[in-house]
Amino acid sequence: MSTFSGLNTAYSGLVAARLGLDVVGQNIANANTEGYTRQRLSTFSASPLGAGGRLDGGVRPGQGVSINGIQRLGSSQFDGQVRTTFAASGFSSVRANALSDLETSLHEPGDKGMSAQLQKFWGGWQDLSNRAGEAAPATLLLGHARELATQIATGYRSVTEQWSSQRDEVVGMVAELNSAATQVAELNGAIRSVLASGGSANELIDQRSALTTTIASLSGATVRELPDGTVDVSIGGNALVSGDRARTLNVVGSSTLEGAAADAVRLVWTNPATPASVEGGEIAGGLSVLAAANATGTGGPLAEAAVSYNAFATELATKVNAIHRTGATSTSPPGVPAGLDFFAFDPTQAALSLSVVPTDLSGIAAALPGSGAKNGGVADALAQLGAGKALDGLGVAITSPNAGWADFVTKVAVGTRMELQQAKLASLTATSALNRQLAVTTVDLDEENVNLLMLQHAYQGAARVMTAVDEMLDTLINRTGLVGR
Amino acid sequence: MISRVTNHTQMRAAQRNLQENMNQLAKLQDRAGTLKAITRPSDDPTGAANSMKVQADIRAVEQYGRNVDDGSGWLDTVEGALSASTKTMNKIRDLTVQGANDGSLSTAAKEAIALELEGLCKELLGQANTSYLGRSVFAGNSDAGVAIGGAPAYAFTGAPGSTVERRISPDSTVRVDADGGAVFGANAGAGSVFTLINNIAQDLRGGVNVGARLAEIDTRMGAMTAEHTRVGAQHAQIGRAEEALMEESGLLEAQRAAIEDLDLGQVILDLKLQEVTYQSALAVTARVLQPTLMDFLR
Repeated sequence: MSTFSGLNTAYSGLVAARLGLDVVGQNIANANTEGYTRQRLSTFSASPLGAGGRLDGGVRPGQGVSINGIQRLGSSQFDGQVRTTFAASGFSSVRANALSDLETSLHEPGDKGMSAQLQKFWGGWQDLSNRAGEAAPATLLLGHARELATQIATGYRSVTEQWSSQRDEVVGMVAELNSAATQVAELNGAIRSVLASGGSANELIDQRSALTTTIASLSGATVRELPDGTVDVSIGGNALVSGDRARTLNVVGSSTLEGAAADAVRLVWTNPATPASVEGGEIAGGLSVLAAANATGTGGPLAEAAVSYNAFATELATKVNAIHRTGATSTSPPGVPAGLDFFAFDPTQAALSLSVVPTDLSGIAAALPGSGAKNGGVADALAQLGAGKALDGLGVAITSPNAGWADFVTKVAVGTRMELQQAKLASLTATSALNRQLAVTTVDLDEENVNLLMLQHAYQGAARVMTAVDEMLDTLINRTGLVGR
Repeated sequence: MISRVTNHTQMRAAQRNLQENMNQLAKLQDRAGTLKAITRPSDDPTGAANSMKVQADIRAVEQYGRNVDDGSGWLDTVEGALSASTKTMNKIRDLTVQGANDGSLSTAAKEAIALELEGLCKELLGQANTSYLGRSVFAGNSDAGVAIGGAPAYAFTGAPGSTVERRISPDSTVRVDADGGAVFGANAGAGSVFTLINNIAQDLRGGVNVGARLAEIDTRMGAMTAEHTRVGAQHAQIGRAEEALMEESGLLEAQRAAIEDLDLGQVILDLKLQEVTYQSALAVTARVLQPTLMDFLR
């Protein structure tokens, strides 16, 4: 054991304390940095030097403190929970937003909604029935009818517009996913080389962790940590990032709502172009909103809404026309039905093409044939259609088109309510997972202050040891042999 | 697991709580501002469906109210015309009785009666062509402009079997016109009251005793009274319908309010409570977040 080894021991203490202070400084400096994970200096006590020879026995103290590295106090278990819950929350929040928007575009209940306009339309027929053969109520009725047709077309258009903007959003999300994947791959490379050279890659790992969370909340991707410090990110079992290589995804498929049935919007890998399946996250939520309608009415909410608008327009036009055809106008041959249509529409896109055929009184067949020109029997029957009291040829009441609209609104309302509740739940779960993660990873200033004190004291102590050794050596070197002088 | 608490998590929790409180406050303010329980269908899907149904019913009742008003106008006009016609007919009957006194009347006096009868005939024709808002009330659904044509044919223009109806409820209508053919005598001249009066005048001039015509006049007056009674019954029906509609409109309004409207007192109480909650959350947050260990170290 060397005379000077005590100095060395004290020196190792000084170095460790100073490094510890630097780490505390880094923690405090990043107390509010998003995604920063607190760090701790990890040390261990150095064991005494091995025995020099057989006679060199005796007890020896350790050789001071050794530095292990700088530990990153994260928890991969909590990180995983955050990623899973974020994926679920992302999925349902996109769906809830889409349905909420759809619901807003209905303007129900209220006096701007379709049901209010329908009531005006039926009321218009009743007024015409009261004053059949007069221009004023006919003009009013035509105004209400045109407004109704416009409102149906506007409602339909707002659904298709929402679909298009949702598709743009999905394209944006996929671009974000691709760029995050590329960055993760780059960080993987950097982390691997830093770790291989024995350095500390904690800050790089923080960045990568934030990126993988983004990827997971976008796509529900799973992350697997590898021994060399890199992570593999996979979507639906296929690797998105593997080591320092990343693949990219692409959105293909119809760019209009109408085309989605034949050519669904979907994801494909760029190279080679194979289909990709995304099970969770915002992208999956967006794709599920864009899905085509199906026979059971459980398809994409926007496509289903478009189908409902078309069905409503068709039902309205068909039922009104069926009754209107039995009526006679003031100029049609007496005694026989004029056979005129009130609404015209193209069956392939009923909501958009719905239009009113008559331009003035002469085209409206309000009278029962053979009952006089000022009869309003057919107009009354049409008004009764609104109340669900009109009878068909067999004397059975015809269901009012109002009921079809009310069904649609209720369906959207129930769907929206369900999605909103799910989104709320998923967001609560995600928040609590994030809180658990943050509880472990975030910097506590009180704790850092205590560490600061401890390290300051350790530094002072090590310095004092060094002074003591110095004084001991001083005694040995300068004062030896001066006894009694 | 006991969670570690750090400044960061505390700060986030405080922020989240404040945000939640704010959110609640905004929601309540919105409700207090609009006083509507359902602003979006998803607030209460069943309520929204009911609300649409009740709104439709309210609109329908308003429409039936308008129909009833219009029908009342028609029936008032018809009743007025029928009363006037009955009066005219009484006068005609008196003159005919007077004219039947062959012995005591000079030719000049008979001529005077005949002239007066012709005047009354024109008056009656005017009454038969009474119109309401441009529609001849005795002509049914015809668009001929007048119910009874001019002399000498006095043709009835109404389409047989076609009546003017007004809808007073989803299931019932009320007839609001009167059949000109029944009131003033059947079609195409011969049986009509106008031809009868002209015949009486002709008889007076020709020296034929008009006493025999009294029975014919009574038949016509009988028909007129019968139609008048029917119109009266319909008037009563439409009056009852008006009352029923008024009552129903009140009921529907109450239903609508129960579904759509909020209790003002309740909302304001909730709002005040939420305000207090929010303010105390702010105060607590301000106190909790301030101190760290640094405040106590030199």
